[in-house]
Amino acid sequence: MSLAEKIKVLIVDDQVTSRLLLSDALTQLGFKQITAAGDGEQGMKIMAEQPHHLVISDFNMPKMDGLGLLQAVRTNPTTKKAAFIILTAQGDRALVQKAQALGANNVLAKPFTIEKMKAAIEAVFGALK
Amino acid sequence: MTADIAARRVNIIQGEYKVVTDPNVVLTTILGSCVAACLRDPVAGVGGMNHFLLPGNAQSMTSGGDATRYGVHLMELLINGLLKKGARRDRLEAKIFGGAKTIATFSNVGEQNAAFAMQFLRDEGIRVVGSSTGGEFGRKLEFWPISGRARQYPLTGAETQRTVAAEQKPAAAPRPVESSIEFF
Repeated sequence: MSLAEKIKVLIVDDQVTSRLLLSDALTQLGFKQITAAGDGEQGMKIMAEQPHHLVISDFNMPKMDGLGLLQAVRTNPTTKKAAFIILTAQGDRALVQKAQALGANNVLAKPFTIEKMKAAIEAVFGALK
Repeated sequence: MTADIAARRVNIIQGEYKVVTDPNVVLTTILGSCVAACLRDPVAGVGGMNHFLLPGNAQSMTSGGDATRYGVHLMELLINGLLKKGARRDRLEAKIFGGAKTIATFSNVGEQNAAFAMQFLRDEGIRVVGSSTGGEFGRKLEFWPISGRARQYPLTGAETQRTVAAEQKPAAAPRPVESSIEFF
């Protein structure tokens, strides 16, 4: 079993299309265990019930945004060790610094290429294959 | 009409998007095989437009291509911009323009771009209240984001060819906003 197959990923994005693209990119990278949520609240609910190893979350979302979710994940004892990659559509320095301060493991700017997503994940987990 | 004379015209070029709340602003753009999505929330009084050209084969959402991600990115920037100004996703309505046939490249890139926009809006549950896509001629488009009124003028054959040629020049490859990854 490859590393990618072992990692449970939760993708959190309010756009259906973005979720499709994310899960498609992850599948191409060899990930098999992918769950999706439409906002931070739903994402945290899933994490609390069934912790995932990696959260890839959009920043801009209704209800609870990506930073809110990051904070919630980091303060819950059962989920605080999860790797967290935040996606951003706007190249915003302040946001990147905030995410870093809150304990994000990496940031990936949209639009991303598969290679960049791979690099972002490997920077956290090491080589996927 | 006086309203038209008083209007402030804001032109949008390929790869750009604008969101406005000022009823006196009219957004304008010139489209060959490019597509412009005009979105607005009639209740919040906010609207906007983007203008994109996806190179090559971008009609399938899950083809996983970089082109598709680029198009989704431009739609997302526009939608996020609207939401920030008080729009609600469930109230958004869209009009789609552009995607003329490109004689210059003997391809149906325009058609694929229009199909991409329609598919995206369908998947996101955003109502399409009007559209004018395809055809042999390019368009000059005007959109009043608050009222939702749109007006288009067909380009002549020569203008269409010039526009399409100009659209092809910059390789509309996905451009990350800044350095894509930040390693902590």
